Amino acid sequence: MAPPTGTTDLVVLMRRVAAEDREAFQMLFRATSAKLYGIVFRILRRKDLADEIVQEAYLRIWRRAESFDPGSGSPITWMAVIARNLALDEVRRAQPVSIEERPELMDVPDEFVHPLDAREKSETWARLMACLDGIEPDRREMVLLAYHHGMSREELAAKFGAPVATIKTWLRRSLMQLRACLGDERA
Amino acid sequence: MNELDDIDALAGEYVLGTLDAAERAAIAARRRREPALDRAILRWESQFAPLLDAGEPIAPPADLFARIETRLGLPERERPGNVVELRRKLSLWRSVAAASTALAASLAFFIAWQGIHAPAPETRLVAVLQKDSASPAFLVTVDLPTRTLTVKPLTSPAAPDKSYELWLINAKLGDPRSLGVISAPLTVSQRLHGYDPATIEASAVAISLEPKGGSPTGKVTGPVLYSGPLISAPF
Repeated sequence: MAPPTGTTDLVVLMRRVAAEDREAFQMLFRATSAKLYGIVFRILRRKDLADEIVQEAYLRIWRRAESFDPGSGSPITWMAVIARNLALDEVRRAQPVSIEERPELMDVPDEFVHPLDAREKSETWARLMACLDGIEPDRREMVLLAYHHGMSREELAAKFGAPVATIKTWLRRSLMQLRACLGDERA
Repeated sequence: MNELDDIDALAGEYVLGTLDAAERAAIAARRRREPALDRAILRWESQFAPLLDAGEPIAPPADLFARIETRLGLPERERPGNVVELRRKLSLWRSVAAASTALAASLAFFIAWQGIHAPAPETRLVAVLQKDSASPAFLVTVDLPTRTLTVKPLTSPAAPDKSYELWLINAKLGDPRSLGVISAPLTVSQRLHGYDPATIEASAVAISLEPKGGSPTGKVTGPVLYSGPLISAPF
């Protein structure tokens, strides 16, 4: 059997996992764990923490599989959101985190991927990219650093040499700008 | 900025990840009772989701799935859900009994572990009796088909002049029924043939501190140290 990667395959696996099918759970893990590990590791930047949080994420996925609703999104997004939220909770909990403790964050490059370079050309992706493209580069980078690397307001303040309150205001303005551009519908 | 904008901005910051620990916890709690906030969070999650594809995948350590399985208590292929279900019930029961101590947690693990290694009878009931982390703990298991009950004191024995006595409590039975004295070597088995399985299943168990050898009257005379419902543990 080919490794399950498509959304339909994952939906089938999720249904089996919801029925506490352990084999399906292992297949789901094989198909998705590298993606989830990547997301979590980029936020936590520590192997021990990433190991722990990814375990936690799959325990939660196992327990909550029955609440997954295929009508409200793809399984991989649902799983990634669970893992990412746990990683964010962890990185915030492990405070106070100063920029000195995470010096590598100073060197995180701007990861903005222009629509033309996008490996995925879905409509949702294109729309988000177009809207991000409309934000001033510095502020766009803040949004992406927060999203991908879990940078806090304080870390962003240190990186961009601006007061925390200013960062907060900029983040909010960027979000409102995105909201206006993206519209109110769920992607 | 009106209230809805405010909720949306807050939801956006939550999804972006820039809120601090306390703010994150507050939002996670609020979204459960504020549908508008929950919807706003789901919308941002969905709209930002394409970014989840931007990063490179990283292979997790080779043993990570085995570690997850261990934590699920799943190594026995045939019965994937039962131990998990037990752990869910145990954790529910522990919160009800306000006995969520480290020891109780380790007992839950112990039970899961025991479940893996025990043969698989049709139905078992289990209770962990512990008041707090400083008190002795007891693991009570009932095997319904044979109506055999086992109590394992997991910590200290009673004082020399005292005995722990185990009781079956069920409103239909009237007064608590003695199931026997929990004596050395710290494990006692008691036939429950006087009671039908349905009655046992619907019962709670309690432990009282009685004079040496057990209650002289057949009724509870000493302080009740612990009580708890028997919960289904079909491992």
